[in-house]
Amino acid sequence: MSLIQIEHLKYRYPGTEKLALDDITLSIEKGEFIGIVGRNGAGKSTLGQAVNGLVPRFHNGAYGGKVMVSGLVAEETPVEEMCEHVGLIFQNPFNQLSGAAETVFNEVAYGLQNLGIPAGEICLRVENVLKRLDIWEYKNRNPFELSGGQMQRVAIASILCMRPEVIILDEPTSQLDPQGTEEVFKVVEDLTETGITIIMIEQKLEKLAKYCDRIILMEGGKVRDFDTPEKIFSREDLEECGVEPPAYTRICKEYGLKLSDGTYPVKLEDAEILFRDSGTKPAPLEKKPERDSYGEEIFRAENLDFFYIKGVPIFEKLGISLDERPTAIIGQNGAGKTTLVRLLKGLLKPVSGNIYFKKEDISGKTVAMLADKVGYVFQNPDDQIFKYKVLDEIMFGPLNIGMSPEKAKEESLKAMELMGLSGMEDTNPYDLELHQRKMTAIASVVAMDTDVIILDEPTIAQDHPGKVLIGNMIHELSLKGKLVIAILHDMDFVEEYFERVVVMAHGKILLDGTAEKVFADDEVLAEARLQKPYVTALREILICSE
Amino acid sequence: MSGLSLYVDQGTYLNKLHPYTKLLYVFAAILIPLIGGGGMLFAVTIGCSIILLILGRTLRRSFPLIAFSFTLIIVIFLVQGMFYYGNETSLFSLWILTFYREGVMYALRISLNILNMLLSFAVFVLNTSPQELVEELEKNGFSPKFGYVINSVFQIVPQMMKTKDTIVDAQRSRGMETEGSLATRIKAFMPLISPVVMSALINTRERAIALEVRGFGRKNKKTFINDRQKLKGDIVICIILILLTAGVVIRRVYSCL
Repeated sequence: MSLIQIEHLKYRYPGTEKLALDDITLSIEKGEFIGIVGRNGAGKSTLGQAVNGLVPRFHNGAYGGKVMVSGLVAEETPVEEMCEHVGLIFQNPFNQLSGAAETVFNEVAYGLQNLGIPAGEICLRVENVLKRLDIWEYKNRNPFELSGGQMQRVAIASILCMRPEVIILDEPTSQLDPQGTEEVFKVVEDLTETGITIIMIEQKLEKLAKYCDRIILMEGGKVRDFDTPEKIFSREDLEECGVEPPAYTRICKEYGLKLSDGTYPVKLEDAEILFRDSGTKPAPLEKKPERDSYGEEIFRAENLDFFYIKGVPIFEKLGISLDERPTAIIGQNGAGKTTLVRLLKGLLKPVSGNIYFKKEDISGKTVAMLADKVGYVFQNPDDQIFKYKVLDEIMFGPLNIGMSPEKAKEESLKAMELMGLSGMEDTNPYDLELHQRKMTAIASVVAMDTDVIILDEPTIAQDHPGKVLIGNMIHELSLKGKLVIAILHDMDFVEEYFERVVVMAHGKILLDGTAEKVFADDEVLAEARLQKPYVTALREILICSE
Repeated sequence: MSGLSLYVDQGTYLNKLHPYTKLLYVFAAILIPLIGGGGMLFAVTIGCSIILLILGRTLRRSFPLIAFSFTLIIVIFLVQGMFYYGNETSLFSLWILTFYREGVMYALRISLNILNMLLSFAVFVLNTSPQELVEELEKNGFSPKFGYVINSVFQIVPQMMKTKDTIVDAQRSRGMETEGSLATRIKAFMPLISPVVMSALINTRERAIALEVRGFGRKNKKTFINDRQKLKGDIVICIILILLTAGVVIRRVYSCL
């Protein structure tokens, strides 16, 4: 008998009419690594939560069919009992901390204490798992003071020490910077060797394809396919399901290089072998057409000094000039990216130095005074949403900066169309999914028709279609002569949509140039601890191996 | 511990004492002068609390508490000194205000009581880890769910306050004024409070899931990893405190007979 057996599972969330899971039947064997892919809203997280019984026991709603894990019927087993068999890790590392422990050690021990495990065994298990995940040195730190990657590893440790047979990872790296993502994937890689059954929902398909035995492709609450990564990512209708194949698959498709079974490779090493054996030479990346003119200078910062704590400078004599080219700012957390854009927006004031907006010194201007010139989309859409209708939420900014109601509505409807929200004017924003709320937040700033738009991690929680929408928005605003500045961790997105890339580390600008120039500079990328886009990395490997 | 808690672990003997010993001190320090009924007893317990605050290296951090109590004490002196129902003997006059001996003595007694309570509580709060106290209470049958509520307040509320700052910035970025006249502030109330409440609710829902998958709802007896043995000092101090309290009670009962 399989470890996990799902038979004709149907589920509908309370207060909704559409089935979130629609007649799902599948089985998973012990020790398998299963990936779940699909567009946002396809039912991936719901399926994950059905395995550990949160659906329906926590969420309630209409439920049919049967889920069995290790002989236990999920619908009938209390979640607090099921947690000994199935562990769950989700996106937001902060919300996974219990909030009841002062130290990492106590945080990880919390679940075991609830299960009534003897104290001596708790200490042994916690020590073992903290050492295995390389966070033993943080054992006495307050978990809330850790970085995102460290917090997520604490969350994984908290689940692992309960020794579940199955662990479900629901986009555990989506809110982490590249370093945090690497830390978590390193842990996932180690887990694959322990024989534990893993179910991972992830948008970073290159990573997922590397580890998975099989992948579940979901669309509209149904399982469209359940097969090997090669077969899933070779499907012609993949993009219809809101999934873009991994970069290695795309490049092999481009050159028609197939494996012996007629599928395309999904891993770097397989793609490399195919290219080498076939003698195919990858063409260098097409150069993006350069503009005739970069347009007028929009921002100029001179000799910026800034600190949050006296004696711990963030910037010392920093200078930068920004023109109309869409500009991505990349770097690890703590590099100073957010501080720089907050200074440009006027949310922070420099300790010394000047910031000019179109030649006007704005160092003394308030945020509200700059609101009609510089728009800023915060990372978390829930930090701003407060209206009961999407249209009202989007019109809030335009009305604040003195637009007439007619003009505000016109601009808001245009912004909604641009962000794929048409038809949702009267929807309550809180009824939307996170990725749609994020689009609402972006539209609410785009509608203000400012000269500059600053985006803080716009691609978080977005699937492939969402990223395309955001990319198109950047392109369209740029054509109108507006400056788009974005803080990003998604290097493939940066390479595709930005004409200029600024690399930051330790409060300094390490490099400033085109994406092509930046991603060719190994030394700077290493210093900033950044990785190349997957396609660029593969092309370079293939060219070098020739 | 960070955030709302006033406790800082400084490795002092007072930190190491069992939370119950310190809790017993609070009860004894409040009850002894109240039952004993003497002004001198207030001076003794206040003196003891100040010495303990010095030994615990927490006297400086207790100043805000003392400063707060002085505002209250001044009001009590003004009101009781002038308007106490038993006022008869004039003590002194300031302009048209006359203070009476009876009222001032009554105010002095109330003030000493307030100061005594605050200082003994300061000894407890500044030298006891809330998490340690809750854990000890849970070991003795206190509900783990209530224990969680108490513990999480100290950790999660400071994080919510940080979220509030981000929300203010997000709305200012959309051209909303958050400072200025009363009308401006009232107008800013909804755009600020709604995201704070909604973020808190969304986070709470996620945290509830995180707790569920870690066995929060289990009905079996919870185990504890910190096996806190009472120190010798704990026992000696507890005996002394109980004897002193009992002595005062007996003396009071005897005097009433």
